[in-house]
Amino acid sequence: MSGLRPNDGLQPSSFRSFATAFAIVAPVFYTVCEMRNWPLFTFVPATDAVYFGLYAPAPDQGPPMYWYGWVATSFLGSAAIRLAVLLLPGSALKRIPLALIWITPLAMLPILIYALRFFWRW
Amino acid sequence: MDWFFDYVSVGTFWTILLLGHALLSVALLGAITHQAAAVLVGGRPKPEEEGFVRRFSAVRGSAYPTVVCVLWIVTFVVGGWIYTKYRIYVRVPIEEAGYWKTLGTFDLKEHLTAIGLALLPIYWSLWQESQTALPTSIENARKGVTLCLAGFCWYAFLVGHILNNTRGFGV
Repeated sequence: MSGLRPNDGLQPSSFRSFATAFAIVAPVFYTVCEMRNWPLFTFVPATDAVYFGLYAPAPDQGPPMYWYGWVATSFLGSAAIRLAVLLLPGSALKRIPLALIWITPLAMLPILIYALRFFWRW
Repeated sequence: MDWFFDYVSVGTFWTILLLGHALLSVALLGAITHQAAAVLVGGRPKPEEEGFVRRFSAVRGSAYPTVVCVLWIVTFVVGGWIYTKYRIYVRVPIEEAGYWKTLGTFDLKEHLTAIGLALLPIYWSLWQESQTALPTSIENARKGVTLCLAGFCWYAFLVGHILNNTRGFGV
């Protein structure tokens, strides 16, 4: 099974290595950010105001939007984790299956659907 | 931007943006579906092979990744912009009407498009392999991520369409 640095005759670039780790980590990190509600910032569309971190607006400010903040947190966090992965030995990286780049997002689907359970009212 | 609204009303501006988003998503859907069909069916059709599916999938998959990435990012950005208005003028009335499942399916669309965005770098990178006989692991990963993106794109497109129908256009 080929990993982050596949030993299969191809010469993976550092971009490939980054993209592989990012594709595996970002869906997990995004799901965690959504479930734990960890936005990097909160946008309040009625006032066009942006607040750092999680912000609960007053009732007269209108609804908050956390999605932009979740995307920012998860992408920045995933990039940081990717940098941390660089510290792992090469042999450990090779053991990470490349198939995880599409298995991980699919595995997150039922969790995200569960996270939206508030909406599944019958 | 104020000069712009001397000529175009605010409502018209957002309508143009929404239609632009729809057209971009149609282009993206067409591109990714062709590519997904190509990786599923595989190869160019032989002269004796006929039929819609064979001809539909008879495209060179490597011609699509850059276009798909650009379209995904632009559609995502435009959608993210429209989303600010959606939160107030679409979501609130739908909440008041009690269409909770519709809102849930739309929230899932947000999640899938964001995760799809994270997959674009590796998707693009894998399609840059020019070797004709790729290792199975690379071939399978490329197929998997392409089908994943195609599935996400179809879901996002259909849910966007359903939501538009739920709220009504120009209401």
